[in-house]
Amino acid sequence: MDPERLIEKELARLNAHLPRAQISLAEALRSERPGVETRDGTFHSFGRDELSLLSRLLEEGMWGELRLPIIIWMSRGMGSGAAVIRGKPEVRVISALLGRPAEGSELVIYRPEVAVIRSRLPTTTQYAFTR
Amino acid sequence: MATASELSPTRTELIRLRRREALAKTGHDLLEEKMDALVMELFSVLRRMQELRASAFDQLERAHRALSSCFAAMGTQETVQAARETVKSVELEVSTRNLMGIVLPVIERPSAVRNALGRGYSMHGTSALLDRAALEFEKALELLVPLAVAEAEAFAIAEELESTKRRVNALEYILIPRLREAIKFIMMRLDEIERENFSRLKRIKKIMEEREWTRSA
Repeated sequence: MDPERLIEKELARLNAHLPRAQISLAEALRSERPGVETRDGTFHSFGRDELSLLSRLLEEGMWGELRLPIIIWMSRGMGSGAAVIRGKPEVRVISALLGRPAEGSELVIYRPEVAVIRSRLPTTTQYAFTR
Repeated sequence: MATASELSPTRTELIRLRRREALAKTGHDLLEEKMDALVMELFSVLRRMQELRASAFDQLERAHRALSSCFAAMGTQETVQAARETVKSVELEVSTRNLMGIVLPVIERPSAVRNALGRGYSMHGTSALLDRAALEFEKALELLVPLAVAEAEAFAIAEELESTKRRVNALEYILIPRLREAIKFIMMRLDEIERENFSRLKRIKKIMEEREWTRSA
């Protein structure tokens, strides 16, 4: 196969684990089997412990606005190891988890913080890789 | 990938190769990013595995001690008989999660601890020590299930890490250097063609000037 096509295929596969559509925290808490379908057709379930942790970190009024899974945007453009969290409720939750003041609707985090987030929220967060 | 002799030294080919190199570089960077994330995940799972293994072994030790006491008090035959009567199934809620394309099992905190009546053996003629031993083993099972999940996760992540590393290396040490070599070759050939054209033009100009000079003389 042409190397060019192989690379393109590989790049397409890189984000195949992302959800077809995100669901809100409120929906996930109501669901009997909380989770989302991914682009590659598999089911990605959310841990109930994590959902309850998220509901404690965010005011009830914002449960409908927090989209799950929270996407951790890994971008080489920002330098190796840097990642971005986008969305106001998402930034609020992650800031609370990291013990930081929440500001704006975009939060830049670094590898040690990504490790903390992933160890606390392994199913309710997902990596996304962008150029 | 074409060898140097098969490459056509044209500007179009140069543009095509440069585009390919940029794509390969992007692919390499993104795969490297994925590899770093996988390493981070692997270390996190290994740490969790270590903790779970330590607590599971502690619990199994407690359970075996309780079982030894039970053997001593009730007798081996009776204990084995009670074990045969025990209900040996535990209900687990199994689901999946997707970690960067790896489908991993998810088992919600299993509840293996049952009351004495739910275990299935007769209450008549069995000791409280048997209940204690059964309880300790049930607690151990609650730790062994997440340990098994963590081990499965570690193996799957390590496998994916290996294949990602292979791809990164193929791009870094084979494809990108070959593309760079091809680009260098075409650039050198184009420069050479340009130099040849320049000297050819100079030569033509000189001949024309000489002809002009003889004609005027």
